[in-house]
Amino acid sequence: MAGSEETERNLVQRYAKQAIERPQSTYRVLLYVALAFFLIASLFPFYWLFVIALTPNRSIVDMGLLPKGFQPGVFIDVFEQIPFHIYMLNSVIIATLTTIIVLFVGSIAGYVFGRYDFPGRTPLLLVVLVISYFPGVAFLIPLFQLFTENIAFLGVHSPMLYNTPWSIVMPLSALTMPLIIFLLSTFYGQIPDGLEDAARIEGSTRIGALFRIIIPLSAPGFATAGILTFIIVYNEFFFSYLMVSGTAGEWAPVLHGIFQFQGSQQVAYDLMAAASIIGVVPVAILVMIAQDRIVSGLTQGALKE
Amino acid sequence: MATENTPLTDRRPRYRLDLALLNRIERLSETQFVYFMLVPVLLLLGSMAIWPLLYTANLSLHADNVLSPDIVGGFVGLQNYVDLLTGEANPILRRPFFDLSRPFTSAVPVTILFTLGAVVVETILGFAMALVLDQRFRGRRFARVALILPWAVPIVIQGMIFYLMFQPSIGFAVGPLSDLGLISSSPLANSQDALLISILADIWKQSAFMALLILAGLQSIDRSLYEVAKVEGASRLQRFRTITFPLVLPALLVALLFRTIAALKVYGVVETVASCNTVPTVSCLVVTTWNAHRYGSAAAIAFLIAIAIGLLLLIYLVQFRGEEGGGLGI
Repeated sequence: MAGSEETERNLVQRYAKQAIERPQSTYRVLLYVALAFFLIASLFPFYWLFVIALTPNRSIVDMGLLPKGFQPGVFIDVFEQIPFHIYMLNSVIIATLTTIIVLFVGSIAGYVFGRYDFPGRTPLLLVVLVISYFPGVAFLIPLFQLFTENIAFLGVHSPMLYNTPWSIVMPLSALTMPLIIFLLSTFYGQIPDGLEDAARIEGSTRIGALFRIIIPLSAPGFATAGILTFIIVYNEFFFSYLMVSGTAGEWAPVLHGIFQFQGSQQVAYDLMAAASIIGVVPVAILVMIAQDRIVSGLTQGALKE
Repeated sequence: MATENTPLTDRRPRYRLDLALLNRIERLSETQFVYFMLVPVLLLLGSMAIWPLLYTANLSLHADNVLSPDIVGGFVGLQNYVDLLTGEANPILRRPFFDLSRPFTSAVPVTILFTLGAVVVETILGFAMALVLDQRFRGRRFARVALILPWAVPIVIQGMIFYLMFQPSIGFAVGPLSDLGLISSSPLANSQDALLISILADIWKQSAFMALLILAGLQSIDRSLYEVAKVEGASRLQRFRTITFPLVLPALLVALLFRTIAALKVYGVVETVASCNTVPTVSCLVVTTWNAHRYGSAAAIAFLIAIAIGLLLLIYLVQFRGEEGGGLGI
């Protein structure tokens, strides 16, 4: 007993001595421990989805950490039980439309804010900034009224946009616009004035200079802004949930597809997990191929604002 | 080359019109030009953000009108706000707005608890994560992808994951945790536990965002400062306290502001993990009140969060505007 205690103390002592003499190695160990913790914490939930998806629904009770069974066919069932591909397509179309609008309108605004100093610039930027912070619920009631023909302007009723992509695209275009304006105005602001001046002296118009000089030079910023908008819209919940009734034929996005498996009699846990995995795929691919752009866009956009 | 085949007469007039328009734009003064260019963005933000805000503000000053076809009743001034803040409105709402005797089922305490819990833990974990990612090690790019992946997960799937983890009889976590007495045996139906699980879900998704902003702050620090400190004999802790922390603080504050505001608006996670009935955040309460056709009250609650967020922004702007261009770049 005493002997083992002795060696244990020796071990601790030896380790402490080593730690004092070579602190660098201790920090190294600490670094890897922390890294392992963070990696497990962020990846484990994805693993759990696979565990649930691969276990047949009738066996899903008292689950441990391993799947009980193996049913890869579940990933095909998802599309056979409900038109999940339509939900996916709706989400992708909605996110793409929003990205196009935001890039078009946002690039013009970003150009103006990034390259011109004009009366009213600061207050306008402040308004744009503040809008991005307001909660979705503050816009919900009027927009819902607007999209269901309940608002009349000069005797003309607003169009019925409920259950169309526009009822999600329009609000989300406005709400992601501030981030994109800030991102793009930084990119435009970094282009040397000399280039634009040269084009203007050569006889190009202001708009010509925008399309021929500025936009080609800020292609990287453009790509970043586009990817970020797509991810933000694809992931959004509030308007995507409330602005459509939830059937695949009426432009409901992925989140409604996943809720379909929460049936009234029985919840299909395996299908729900499989649908969740499929739903993550598009954004996971984007993150993997464009991580540098996403990281720089997020940090620049946020820190600039 | 298709244009060369089109007859000249077809092409000319359109070309002239374009040219005339371009000339017109070219002759505008700079300010006029700028505002001309801003028309699309002002139209979009005006119709989708500013008009709805004003409309909501106006609705909030009118009485609820549950039965008639008009969406709201007569003008009542600030009565809706008074009723909400004094608790008089609690009986007509699905869940009380503010009731300290029921902190886990009334909107304001639930939202504040969610925000505090999530933001504090996200800041600590985010800082640690940023310090790790700031080091050099093999596979750092892979580690970064793995760590930001949760940020890119759609809210509904984030919610589903935690729903599947804590659904009793499925989730591996429920048995052991309830044996320890940390959560009840059906945590998703219990307001207190469901709030905790929603916070956990938010931490899982958002810590990486916090880490990225802090990392950007860390990487902008001039490395030679550390060399000087080392030569002067400063310990690792001293270096952290006198160099790292103060220089990262601006980025940290922006990250804090972002996360706090986003957490105050929380809706999707809570609705997916549990339900708006179990964890009634303020945003949830607006939606349930709106679904009950109480437009006046719903608008007043919505406007109260907007005001709270506005105040937070104002404090931040006034307090930190002077430093480094206010951290806001404007």
